[in-house]
Amino acid sequence: MSQERHPTEDLPAYALGALEPDEREAIAAHLETCALCTGDLAQFEDALYEAAVIGAVNVEPPADLRTRIVARHRGARPSSATSWGDRVIAFLRSPVPAAVPIALAVLLVVAFGVLGATRGQADTYARALAGVVDGRVVALAPTGANPDARATVVIPNQGSPYLIVRLPVPPTGKAWEAWVLKPGSSGPVAVPAGTTDRGDVFTLSLTVPLGAGDGVAITLEPASGSAQPTTQPVLAVERT
Amino acid sequence: MPDKANDMKLVERIAGGDAEALGELYDRYGRVAFGVLYRMLPGPEAAEEVAQDAFHSVWREARSYRSERGSVRTWLLAICRNAAIDWRRTRGKRLEREVTIEAAAELLSDAKVDERVVDRLRAERVRAMVGRLPREQREVLALAFWGGYSQSEIAARTDTPLGTVKSRVRLAMNKLRESLEDER
Repeated sequence: MSQERHPTEDLPAYALGALEPDEREAIAAHLETCALCTGDLAQFEDALYEAAVIGAVNVEPPADLRTRIVARHRGARPSSATSWGDRVIAFLRSPVPAAVPIALAVLLVVAFGVLGATRGQADTYARALAGVVDGRVVALAPTGANPDARATVVIPNQGSPYLIVRLPVPPTGKAWEAWVLKPGSSGPVAVPAGTTDRGDVFTLSLTVPLGAGDGVAITLEPASGSAQPTTQPVLAVERT
Repeated sequence: MPDKANDMKLVERIAGGDAEALGELYDRYGRVAFGVLYRMLPGPEAAEEVAQDAFHSVWREARSYRSERGSVRTWLLAICRNAAIDWRRTRGKRLEREVTIEAAAELLSDAKVDERVVDRLRAERVRAMVGRLPREQREVLALAFWGGYSQSEIAARTDTPLGTVKSRVRLAMNKLRESLEDER
């Protein structure tokens, strides 16, 4: 059992999903080591979802929904042991650039960038990066799906984090989607953080807060965006 | 009525790569899962899309399911709810179809419950307890659960001090929990 103080007062709000992200993370960390609070949480959730069943709309789902759900997974293997996040992290455990000073990031970008992309794109990307005047930058690593892809998280001293990205225009009906990788009980959890159908060199604001140590990834998704990643990332970094 | 032992066997089969077991889980809880999503999202198309995503998460996360953290039904519905909240944070806002305070403000519905997925006695206990909660406590539970609002957001949107909202959440959740306590 955890030696910390039990978050008894906040556990009901945690079960309800009504805490702020930092409060939530603190309790999630406590729950990892506290069987007592885990048991209490299970009781709160059990009662809450009993109420949810009573509160749900009693409506018939589309007739073919079951068929589509089963067909999607027939012949596939569950990936929980190596979830999307775990596989990203496994990839990133191979030596790749992590956080680097701005000047070094620019040099790396220019050095790597001119190989596959046009020099113009590399120059535009480098100029965008060089224009960052304060804060911290963290380079995302291309995962191999698109070796020419480049992206950097900019974490300004003031204001919200954003990405400077160099990627081609996504195929018709697709979009680039950014994800913030939050620590979860069974590996990193990908939280949707913005989509765009732009290409070339562009910036993309992260729509969810970036906590200390969170990762970031970019995947190709349907144009309407996805609730969870459906493809392997083209760019990712384990920790910012 | 939930059958916990068989539910766990289903999850074990799903973790082993049995897609038919996923279909059987859908047979048990697909309708209520869809009903939860239907209430949280702006229309049947969104509920359908998120239901598919949620069952895909079940497929991916089956090996991480821990029975000590709650029943399979609770686990599945929590996955559905989280997927719906994620959907609304990304596409819901863009489409200006956020669930309103008014639409989310009542915890229970008047609709007839799908009796295949409830223990009638438990459901009646919970319904009675919710009925006895003061309106303000029911409202904070509903806004947080169906609306996906945090305590701070509820305080701002209902013009209520944050401390009061926190207190209402605690009281309401403790009473809800008590409604099932004598089963344990």
